[in-house]
Amino acid sequence: MKRISLILLLILLALTLAACGGDDAPTVDEVEVEDVAEDDIDSETGEVVDEGEDIADEDVTESVDEDMAEDVAEDVGEEVALRWRTRPDNQAEIDVYQSISNSLDDELEGATLVYEPGGSETSSYQDVLKTELAAGTAPDVFWIPGTDIADFAMRDLLLDLSPYAEASGFDVEAFYPGPMFHLTYNPETDQTGEVLWGLPRDVSTFVLYLNMDLINEAGAPDPRELAAAGEWNWDSFLEVATMVDALGDDIYGYGQNAWWGPYGYWINAAGGGFFTEDRTACALDSEESLEGLRFLQSIYQDFDVAVPYGEDAEPPFLAGRVGMFQNGRWATPAMRASADFNWDVVKLPEGPAGPSNWLFWGAYVVNANTEHPEAAWELVQALTTAETQAQVAELGANIPSRVSEEALDAFLTYSPPANNQAFLEGLAENPATEGPLWQGSWPEFDAVMSPALQAVLTGEITVEEFADSVCVEADRTFISGN
Amino acid sequence: MATTAVDGASDRQQGAVGWLRAAVAWHLFLAVAAAAGALYLVQAPWPEATWARLLAVAILLLTIVGSGAAAVLTYRRRHAGRTLSLALNYLGALTTAVLLLHLVGTFLAIDALAANFARGIPWLVLLVVGLLVYNSGGALHDRVARTRREWIGRALAWFSALAFLFAVGLLTALQAVIARLVDSPALLALLAAALLFGVMAWALWRQPAADAFDTTNAQSEMLQGYLFLSPNLLGFLIFFAGPLLFSLYVSFTDSDAFGNAQWIGLQNYAEIVNITLQPLESADQLVTQVLDTDTYVELTRFSILGRHYVVGAQDKLFWIALGNTLQYVLMVVPLSVIPALFLANLLNSKIPGMKFFRAAYFLPSVAAVVGIALIWQWLYNATVGYINYFITTAVNFANMFLGLALTDPQIRWTSSADTALIAVAIMAAWQMLGFNTILFLAGLQSIPNTLYEAAIVDGAGSWSRFTKITLPLLAPTTFFVLVTTLIKAMQAFEEVFILMGMNPTGPGNSTLTMVLYLYQKGFQRFDLGYASALAWVLFLLIFGLTLVQFRRQRAGGSTFDM
Repeated sequence: MKRISLILLLILLALTLAACGGDDAPTVDEVEVEDVAEDDIDSETGEVVDEGEDIADEDVTESVDEDMAEDVAEDVGEEVALRWRTRPDNQAEIDVYQSISNSLDDELEGATLVYEPGGSETSSYQDVLKTELAAGTAPDVFWIPGTDIADFAMRDLLLDLSPYAEASGFDVEAFYPGPMFHLTYNPETDQTGEVLWGLPRDVSTFVLYLNMDLINEAGAPDPRELAAAGEWNWDSFLEVATMVDALGDDIYGYGQNAWWGPYGYWINAAGGGFFTEDRTACALDSEESLEGLRFLQSIYQDFDVAVPYGEDAEPPFLAGRVGMFQNGRWATPAMRASADFNWDVVKLPEGPAGPSNWLFWGAYVVNANTEHPEAAWELVQALTTAETQAQVAELGANIPSRVSEEALDAFLTYSPPANNQAFLEGLAENPATEGPLWQGSWPEFDAVMSPALQAVLTGEITVEEFADSVCVEADRTFISGN
Repeated sequence: MATTAVDGASDRQQGAVGWLRAAVAWHLFLAVAAAAGALYLVQAPWPEATWARLLAVAILLLTIVGSGAAAVLTYRRRHAGRTLSLALNYLGALTTAVLLLHLVGTFLAIDALAANFARGIPWLVLLVVGLLVYNSGGALHDRVARTRREWIGRALAWFSALAFLFAVGLLTALQAVIARLVDSPALLALLAAALLFGVMAWALWRQPAADAFDTTNAQSEMLQGYLFLSPNLLGFLIFFAGPLLFSLYVSFTDSDAFGNAQWIGLQNYAEIVNITLQPLESADQLVTQVLDTDTYVELTRFSILGRHYVVGAQDKLFWIALGNTLQYVLMVVPLSVIPALFLANLLNSKIPGMKFFRAAYFLPSVAAVVGIALIWQWLYNATVGYINYFITTAVNFANMFLGLALTDPQIRWTSSADTALIAVAIMAAWQMLGFNTILFLAGLQSIPNTLYEAAIVDGAGSWSRFTKITLPLLAPTTFFVLVTTLIKAMQAFEEVFILMGMNPTGPGNSTLTMVLYLYQKGFQRFDLGYASALAWVLFLLIFGLTLVQFRRQRAGGSTFDM
C-alpha cells in the first residue's frame, strides 16, 4: 500500500512538474524563431528549431512613431502567438472561423493563430470578454458589437490602430461609412477620422422573413411584388399581417423579438430616433418617434396581429405559424436548416418618413494590452479582406462589410433566400447605423428604454405616459445628464 | 546495547539542539529581512493599488512580529515558540512554493498538461495492469512464482509510470524549468527560500525537536489537528474570507475593474438607499414638477386617504430588484417547503418501489439549472410551448364535452410582467422540492417509531400524529430547510438569467433580482464598486432575515441541532 501511495505521489509531483513545460499549442509567450517556416516548428514542443529572420522589416518605420517602431522591432524576427476571438452563432460558423484561422495561420508570416470561439448558452460573449479584459487574460484580437465601441475605447481597452494603418497606407474608406464614423471617432476631440479602433467584420440589415405558404393561403398580396411595385408600406404591411392572422387563433401575421433593433426600425421609419441628431440626448419623446411607436403599439394592441411582444417569435415562425418575421441576416442559417415551408424575404416596408432600416455591424479590434500590436493589426486586416468575408458570407449569416461590388455580387449568389437583394436594399435605403454613445452609456440607456417600450407594447402604459417619463430617466444616462 | 541506545538518544538531542539554534537564527534573519522589505515598500513606487500596498506591509509587519517572537520563544524552549515557528515555516514554505510554481508557469500551463494527457493514457492503462499483476501475486501459494509475478507487476508498473510521465512531457518540462531557474536569480532565491522554510518546518516537526520543547501528547495532537485542518482553513481564508474583505474595500470605491479605483467612502451605499417621498397635487402630476430629476427618478406613486404621493429613488432599479427578490422569496419558500413536507411523509412509507420515487423526486435537484431552465423556456413559450398547449387542449375539451364556455387564457408566461416572476418561481420551486423532500425524509426517519405506536395505542388519529408528533419533532429539520431555501431564493440568479433568455430582467424589469442586478452592474457595466456595495447590502439583508429566523426558532423553544 505504501508503495502504491509512493507511486501515486510521484506521479502527482511529476504531473505538476510536467505542467511547467508547455504543450503542442503555442502559448502567448514569444518563442525564439530561427526560421518561421511552418515545417520548422517542432510539432511536439511548439518551439522553433532553426534560425531565420524571414519576417520582412521593410517599409514600416518611416512614418510611424518611435513606440510603434519598437513594437515592430520586437515582432520582427520572432514567432508570436496571437489569440483571436469572435462570436459565432452556431457550430457551422465555429468551423468556418477555425478554417479561416488555419489558412491565415499559413499566410501570416511570423504569427501563429489561436482561434477561440466565444459565448455559450450560459455565458454571454460580452460578459466573458469584459471579465477577461479586467483580469488581463483577453485575446489579442477580438470582435465586439458596434454599440460597445465607445465604452471600450473610452476605458482604454482598445488599441488605436491609426499609426499602423497610416504606415501601411490602409484605405479605411473601403468599408461602409456608417461603421467607420464610429470606428474613427476620437472621444477626446469629438471628431471622426482621427483614430482607428478596428475594422468591421460584417454588416447586416433587417428584412421580413416570409412564410409564403401562409400568405398564399390567406390570399394576401405577395409582399415581394408590392415592394417591386413601390407599394410596400405600413398600410400594405398591416393588410398582409391582418389577412394572415385571420387564418386561425394560433396563426400570427407578424413577429419580432424584444430588443431595441426591431422596435427601433418603426421609430426610425416614422422619422424619429432614439437620440437627438448629435446623439447627446434622448429623442424618444419626439412626435415622430411617438408616431412610430403608436403604429407599432396598434399592431400589438389594437389589431392584435402579432406574436405577443416579449415572446421569442422565431420558434412559432419556424413552426409555420407566423406570416412575417422581422429579423437580420443572422437568422438565415436557422431558416435554411429548420423551415420546412416555402419561405423568402422582403425588405422592410416604407414608413411615413420613407424607407428605413438598421445597419448592424461589429468590429474586430485589438486589445490595448497586446504584446504584438503590429502582428495583431496584420491579423485584423487579414480577417476583413474580401476573400475572408466571402468565406463567412457563404454560410448565410453575414453580409460583407466592404463596399465592393464584387463582394456584394458574391453575396447575392448565396441562396436561399431567393430575394437576397432585400438585404442589400436595406443597406442602400437610408439605414440608421447601429452605434455607440460617445456622450453617454448605451447599456444604461437601453436599460431605461427597453422596459419602457415593452410596457407600451404590452399595453401596460399608454404612449403618452411613456412620453412623459422616458426621457426624464434616459437623459440621466448621458454624460451631461441633460 | 543500552549504552548504544543512550548514545543514540543523546545524539538526537544534540542534533535537535543544533536545529533549534538554526531556527532561532533563521527567524531573526526573517524578522530583519521582513523589516527591510517593509521599509522598502513604504518608499517603493509599487504596488500601485493602495489595498495591495497595505496588504503587503501588513503581512511583512506580521512576519516581523511573528518571527521575532518565534526566535525569542524558541530560544527559551517554550512550546509556543515551536508552534509559532512551525506555523511561520509551514506558511512560508507553502507561499514560496506556490509563488515559484506560478512564476515558472505551472498554473497557466495546466491546460498544456490537459492537452498532452491523452498521449499518456495507454501507459496509464499499462500502469493499472502492472498493479493488478502485482496484486494477483498474493493469490499464488508457490513462493517463487508469487515473487516472480510480483516482480513482473512491479517492474511493469514502474516502467509504465515513467513512460507515462515522459509521454505527457516530463522531460520537456524539466528542461523548461531548469532553463527558467538558471536564467533567473530571483527564481533560484525563491527556490532556496522554499527549501529553507520546508527544512525548518520539517526539523521542528520531528520528535527530537518536540522532546527538546517538552511537548505533551495533547500539544502534539493539537498541532497534528491543525495540520490536517490547514488545507481547508487556508482555502477558506484565501478563496472566501480574502475576496470577501476585498469586496468590502471595493464597495467603498468607484472601481471599474480595470485598476481605476478612487476611495469614495459611503457614496455607493448612499446612492443605493437614497429615496424620497413627495406629495402630488393630482394623481397624474408630472414627476418633473415634484422631484429633483437630476437625482431622483420616479419609483412608484400611490394614494392614501385621497392624497397622492410619489416615491423617487436615486437608484430605482435597486428597489425594483429588492421588491422582486422579496416577492420571489415569498413564492419560492412556501412552494418548495410545504409540498416537500407532505411529499416526504408519502415517501416515508414502506411500499415496494419507494426508492425509485425518492430518486425521481430528487432528480431535478442534481440536474444543472441551465439545462432545466432551457427546457422550461420551451415549456413556457406562449405560442408553441407545451404548457399552453395542454391548457388549450383542456379548455377545448371542457367546452366541447362539458358544454362550458371557457376562454383559453393563452398565458404569456415569460413575456408578461404579471406572470414572469411567477414562472421563474414555479421552476425554481420545482427544482428545490426534491432536495427539501430528502431533508424532511431524513428528519422523519430520525423520529422514533415508538412514539407513533404509543400515540396509536392512545387513540390518536393520523392528523393528530402529524401535528402533535411529526411537526414538533421535525422542527430542527424544518428550520434548516427554511433557512437554506430562503438564502438560496434571495440569491436567485441562474434561474432568471437562463430562463428569461435575451431579456433576463424580464418585461418591465419584473424579473430583475438582486444578484442579477449586481451581476449587470459589475460584469456588464464595469461598475464593480457599486456592484460590491450591492452585494454587501444583499448580505446584510440575508443575514438579518436569517437572524430573525434564528430568534424565532429559539423563542419557539426548539433548537437547531442538525
